Amino acid sequence: MLKQVEGSHAVAEAVALCRPEVICAYPITPQTHIVEGLGELVKAGHIKDCKYINVESEFAALSVAIGSSAAGARSYTATSSQGLLFMAEAVYNASGLGLPIVMTLGNRAIGAPLNIWNDHSDAMSLRDAGWIQLFAENNQEAIDLHIQAFRIAEDISCPVMVCVDGFILTHAVEQVDVPDQKQVDAYLPAFVPAVVLDPKAPASVGALVGPEAFTEVRYLDHKKQLRAFDAIDRASTAFKSVFGREAGGFIRSYHTKDAETVIVAMGSVIGTLKDMIDEKRKQGHKIGLVSICTFRPFPTAEVGAALKDAKHVIVLEKSLASGQGGVLAAHVRAGLHEAIPLTTLIAGLGGRPIPKNALSEFVEKIGIPSSDELHFLDLKQDIVDGELKKTEEERNARLRNGAARGR
Amino acid sequence: MKPFATVLEVGTSLNNHTGSWRTERPSYAHRLPPCNNACPAGENIQEWLSLAEQEKYEEAWREIVKNNPFPAIMGRVCYHPCENACNRVTIESPVGINSVERFLGDKAIRDKWAFDRPAAKSGKKVLVIGAGPAGLSAAYHLARLGHKVTVKESLKKAGGMLRYGIPQYRLPRKILDAEIKRIVDYGVELEVNKKVTNLAEVVESKAFDAVFLSVGAHIAKLTEFPTSPRSRVLDAVAVLRDMENREKPKLGKRVVVYGGGNTAMDVARTAKRLGAKEVTIVYRRTREKMPAHSFEIDEALQEGIKIKFLVTIKKYQNKKLTLGKMALDAKGYPQPTGKNETMETDCIVLALGQDSDLALLEKFPGLEIADGALKVDSRMMTSHAGVFAGGDMIPFERTATTGVGHGKKAARSIDAWLRKVEQPATEKHPLATAERLNKWYYAEVSENKRKLIDIAHRTKTFDEVQLGLSEAEALNESRRCLSCGNCFECDNCYGVCPDNAIRKLGAGKGFKIDYDYCKGCGLCAAECPCGCIEMTPEDI
Repeated sequence: MLKQVEGSHAVAEAVALCRPEVICAYPITPQTHIVEGLGELVKAGHIKDCKYINVESEFAALSVAIGSSAAGARSYTATSSQGLLFMAEAVYNASGLGLPIVMTLGNRAIGAPLNIWNDHSDAMSLRDAGWIQLFAENNQEAIDLHIQAFRIAEDISCPVMVCVDGFILTHAVEQVDVPDQKQVDAYLPAFVPAVVLDPKAPASVGALVGPEAFTEVRYLDHKKQLRAFDAIDRASTAFKSVFGREAGGFIRSYHTKDAETVIVAMGSVIGTLKDMIDEKRKQGHKIGLVSICTFRPFPTAEVGAALKDAKHVIVLEKSLASGQGGVLAAHVRAGLHEAIPLTTLIAGLGGRPIPKNALSEFVEKIGIPSSDELHFLDLKQDIVDGELKKTEEERNARLRNGAARGR
Repeated sequence: MKPFATVLEVGTSLNNHTGSWRTERPSYAHRLPPCNNACPAGENIQEWLSLAEQEKYEEAWREIVKNNPFPAIMGRVCYHPCENACNRVTIESPVGINSVERFLGDKAIRDKWAFDRPAAKSGKKVLVIGAGPAGLSAAYHLARLGHKVTVKESLKKAGGMLRYGIPQYRLPRKILDAEIKRIVDYGVELEVNKKVTNLAEVVESKAFDAVFLSVGAHIAKLTEFPTSPRSRVLDAVAVLRDMENREKPKLGKRVVVYGGGNTAMDVARTAKRLGAKEVTIVYRRTREKMPAHSFEIDEALQEGIKIKFLVTIKKYQNKKLTLGKMALDAKGYPQPTGKNETMETDCIVLALGQDSDLALLEKFPGLEIADGALKVDSRMMTSHAGVFAGGDMIPFERTATTGVGHGKKAARSIDAWLRKVEQPATEKHPLATAERLNKWYYAEVSENKRKLIDIAHRTKTFDEVQLGLSEAEALNESRRCLSCGNCFECDNCYGVCPDNAIRKLGAGKGFKIDYDYCKGCGLCAAECPCGCIEMTPEDI
């Protein structure tokens, strides 16, 4: 059914359609509206046989989800930013125990300084925690990925994090097509857990394991992530046949066939990039786009294949690995022929807008460089230069004073 | 199929014996509660309070009578040093131990509980001389230990100072009679009006295998001051003793009591009840120095008795009493000022303390007597083998409860002496001090105090002044016990142990620490409300 709704509420409705049995969450901007929406739906009786559990923190939220999932209940939670960091230990536990929890991450920057707006620092900080990470391009995909997420998670017993850009998607009112319950029921089978805590057949879950077994456990985790490719593929293929539209999968290419410059990006910025590319194409520029939907497991081979004919790759990303560069860029580089130069473009940190014109100007200006470069979109160069100068001067003054005192 | 390594068999987390990391070892201690430590009768107060708070009243009473056969009496007349020692005072106020003891004692009388069966008959015969608290306690404990006991009492009835010293408004005679009767019913032979005048005769007769002397202290101490033939000077011991006669003493409308002890209070309050309009206690020092217990002074004042401090009696001629005014010197001692005051009174009652009548020992050589009191060793035995003594006649604090304690101790010594065995040395546990309590865990609960009957009633009758607690009040009061230094199974250690190393052994059996897993973190000890867990370094 077509609706004009806020992204958060669309996600809440999609989760509700998946018949979760336990929802536990702690509010944090910009995720709050999602769990509020679910709270209302549970209270109003729109989700049958579902317990909404109030918890005292994000750590508790995911810990409760771990418990309920281990007991065989389809479990859901959601968080953002510092909330994800606060539950970090449980994030690893959920995947380590192979519990098919689905969690929405309303992407938001991580402090300090405190910032409530969107970027991908939160998702990137736990990229190696053993969860499948899917990125939504728009609110329709946010809906569709949540429905797929439960299916993927339960298919291979692995938790799935659905990343939805904070504010840009969560707070945007857009037209979306919300599936009906029959369709979702046809698509998503009942949860048959691989591990069930059952007093009648007691077992220890997550107990101490020594060096003799830990490497194997980790190897199996890696294999599970690789097997997830098949599960993700099955889920998106089946989705198309049931719902009649495409969503999910690993990557999507846009005008890459003849493109000399290919931009790689993920999340809501894809829309802006497509508009920019459309304009550039009209002007005769050979430019294309690869959008990443599945960040974990990372589809290195697919990305490499999509970019093999490019002369220059620009990875636009909303996070920065301080002291290294771009996180997504490093992943793309791994699948890219070494002769193709890669430009990392850090953009949209802490909610800074990524205007089409700025992107267009950047692409224009950089042309096709001869080697890898790192750039920050719309960086206020005068401010950083002034600050760096001041820092250096102050440092020198401190050293002089220290030396004087020493005498 | 279970996933590899993340799902394991039950109990696999127990494979790692974390106890090997321990440098300190917790253990459950049994500390001596301050109440038990202070009890002159050696009662295990904490234990019987614990039984009472579980509503096991008969078991609680049986625990008391292991040490003291007079819960109903002591629940009235004991000055409860236990309550003065109670750690609960650091929270709000001490546990009303004495009130609960009285409740249990009264319930035992009402429900006709009898003592446990005595031990097998030993065939030994013991004579007890004097049926006061010490003598009756000794008789009871000796009977309990299997000996044949005869008690010879010089007065008309048994009870000693309980009957002839403590007024009825503090100890109703039906209570006294009931608890004495229980001892007689236990097989103790009681002979009243049988004054033993010569101990030597008794010992030489070999009719008894051992003797316990407990003749008390029934001779009033006197003082001299000029009087005239019409001046009436009485002594408190005689007045209180005569209260047991059908004809009560005639004291007059104005009575002066000389002295500042509990006996002075007793006789003053008795005088009031006998119809005296004006009763004045005359004492040479200040209230702070009065030996009487504060609550007895308060009750006397409530009843309209006046107290003159810092005065001594100079002379009493006809009805005119001349008092010498005193003043405290720099060291706080009263010194005469040379100034006098006068007042009219119909009689003076002297309450200056008592001495023991040791005439029966005169023909019995070799006993050590100092300052009018008989000396005994740590077993309560005099310097003559087989002759033991206790109560007010030996140099010790003179209270009924002390007498009960002496009787018990002497009985156990006599038993060991008769059986020719060494008395096992009793281990004295370290004291459960207030600093060891984790007071955070205890809520403030005010004391369930015994009510007093109204003043008008008190000053006209000899009805008991203090009422008993109801069952609900006694139960609540016993539940105020903190269980200092001994586990009361609150489960705190069980709850806080991060290693699940505390094993419950079942109700009343406490806990066991599984040292295979106890890392010695000390949380249990830090969080034990009553301070019964101790940490000791491991030998490493």
